[in-house]
Amino acid sequence: MKYLEGPEKSCSPLAPEEELVSASQLEEEEENENEEENLDPDLALDVEEEEEEEENSLGDPAVLTAVHNAQKGLLSSPGIKAPGVLGMSPTSLYFLCQTLDYLSPSPFRPTHASTSSPARHFGPRLLSPDPSLFCSSPTLQSPRFSHLTQLHPQHQRMLQLQQQSRTPSPPAKKPWSQQPDPYANLMTQKEKDWVIKVQMVQLQSENPSLDDCYYQKYYQKLEKRQADEELLGQRSKVESLKLVTPYIQKAEAYESVVRIEGSLGQVAVSTCFSPRRAIDAVPHGTQEPEIGATSSQRLRVLYWIEKMFLQLLEIEEGQKDGPSRPCYSEQQRNQVEKLFQSLNTPEQNHLDEAADGFLQVLSVRKGKALVARLLPFLPQDRAVSLLLAITHHLPLLVRRDAADQALQMLFQPLSKYINHLTFHELLQGLQGLMLLPPGSSERLVTAVLQNQFGISLLYALLSHGEKLVCLDSSLEESNSDHTVWTDIVILIAWEIAQMPATSLAEPLAFPSNLLPLFCRHVDKQLVQQLEATMQLAWIY
Amino acid sequence: MNYMPGTASLIEDIDKKHLVLLRDGRTLIGFLRSIDQFANLVLHQTVERIHVGKKYGDIPRGIFVVRGENVVLLGEIDLEKESDTPLQQVSIEEILEEQRVEQQAKLEAEKLKVQALKDRGLSIPRADTLDEY
Repeated sequence: MKYLEGPEKSCSPLAPEEELVSASQLEEEEENENEEENLDPDLALDVEEEEEEEENSLGDPAVLTAVHNAQKGLLSSPGIKAPGVLGMSPTSLYFLCQTLDYLSPSPFRPTHASTSSPARHFGPRLLSPDPSLFCSSPTLQSPRFSHLTQLHPQHQRMLQLQQQSRTPSPPAKKPWSQQPDPYANLMTQKEKDWVIKVQMVQLQSENPSLDDCYYQKYYQKLEKRQADEELLGQRSKVESLKLVTPYIQKAEAYESVVRIEGSLGQVAVSTCFSPRRAIDAVPHGTQEPEIGATSSQRLRVLYWIEKMFLQLLEIEEGQKDGPSRPCYSEQQRNQVEKLFQSLNTPEQNHLDEAADGFLQVLSVRKGKALVARLLPFLPQDRAVSLLLAITHHLPLLVRRDAADQALQMLFQPLSKYINHLTFHELLQGLQGLMLLPPGSSERLVTAVLQNQFGISLLYALLSHGEKLVCLDSSLEESNSDHTVWTDIVILIAWEIAQMPATSLAEPLAFPSNLLPLFCRHVDKQLVQQLEATMQLAWIY
Repeated sequence: MNYMPGTASLIEDIDKKHLVLLRDGRTLIGFLRSIDQFANLVLHQTVERIHVGKKYGDIPRGIFVVRGENVVLLGEIDLEKESDTPLQQVSIEEILEEQRVEQQAKLEAEKLKVQALKDRGLSIPRADTLDEY
């Protein structure tokens, strides 16, 4: 009975496979089986029988189902003829099934476990036919791998040796000596494509440079390198493949779980389409978190900075893809302007007014970074007003920056705009520093000089002033502006000289025309003192 | 890699012989016939290989459907080099016996260790489920 059950199981799944089996294979199979002496003694007689029947029946899948039915018939009444079968007796059908059983690799034969050929247990057909893998062209280094496979150098060398040893003798020796795999392509191409499609869908994104930043950057670098190589030497351009995810319009996703502010947990309203979704009681758009009276100013500032930073990132993103600096699109300019407005920079005329928000932004490290990164995008007049605002409030900023020491990042972008200042603007900015605040013996400028950013900015401003004066002789005339300028210079020189060298901060950039500037306005002794102090500070 | 450059995909491994290591420590060898997006595998003509020392034994298992999350790693087997191994194949009964002996030896050693620790007033908490994560 065991035999009857065996073939029954193997018959139906083998139905499609049998068509692939050729007559020669069948014979070979028999020979193999004979060698191992696995053959059932009954079947030794039937080799001829099923050989002749094989031609009729193996090509016809209907036969196999008929055979299957016949099996059932065998158990009940051996005399019944299966429909559609060409005059085959049930016994011959039975033996046919036996051979079909042999054609399938016998999964479990513990008694025949042999150490000589362990591979045989997998059945006669082992290799999947893929000749492309074995016939490698001599030019390619590693045919199956893309540029992204990074092999160990030893591994790479081994593969190379293999390639070299293979290529001279492809006609001589067949790498795949076994028969083609009858179980190949159980997974059809359609199914493979489906799996790939599913995987690709998971990868799609609207902004690949954001979501898949590393791969995109790597690929750009790779392409650049290949382009360079092509230009230099290698004529043959090796096209490296890129993963391009399909853009499939996502269906509108609704929020299945709606949260109403202030409630605990989910809202217990359901519709027939979305069990948990509440009626559209939630307002759309950004929800400003209702901060009550307990909200702290600082949190608000931080939140505000975050929002502005997001806008800045958008601007930067837009600029990165597009052309270089000068050609800003209209949209970009609007964005930049919007951001500038939100910074709430005080107008030039109202420098003294509480530029509270602006200063608070600049008191936070991230705020400084924000301004520093925004500056390159600003049109000149906006940038200049920013610069002046910063200069005006320099002492305050310096004081607040004591912990962070992060103002330095502003120096680079700001120094570019210093050259655009007019003399008058410059004076206005510097005048504020000369004030003596009530209740203090120290001028504001002293604190500035002790901070690296402060002193750098100051030097840069002075240098610019000197440049302007040198260039434009009309400013030399004694007018109010010039007097103010002279006063400022003298004052600063005096302050510098006053300070011990150690407390004088080291400037980020030391303009060359400072000393001549001081020479002209102050007496020799003071100049010498200045020289000593400044150079000492510089060395430190 | 043709289909999805820049990613790792099992599509290229279909119909090839693979060695699959499962999370419970079993080693399966079979032809990879089908996959899906979770890396669930269908292995054909699968054999479970038990290694003890320099010996190994194969237990034929037929067709396996392995849930993707239980796979630690898998790799293609080079059919030409497959028999090129210093290991010695033995029968199933023998390898199972060897395995049992090895397990027993391990348990004994573990018991001694625990006893020794206990004598010194220390105890190691049972790490039964530590394998999982």
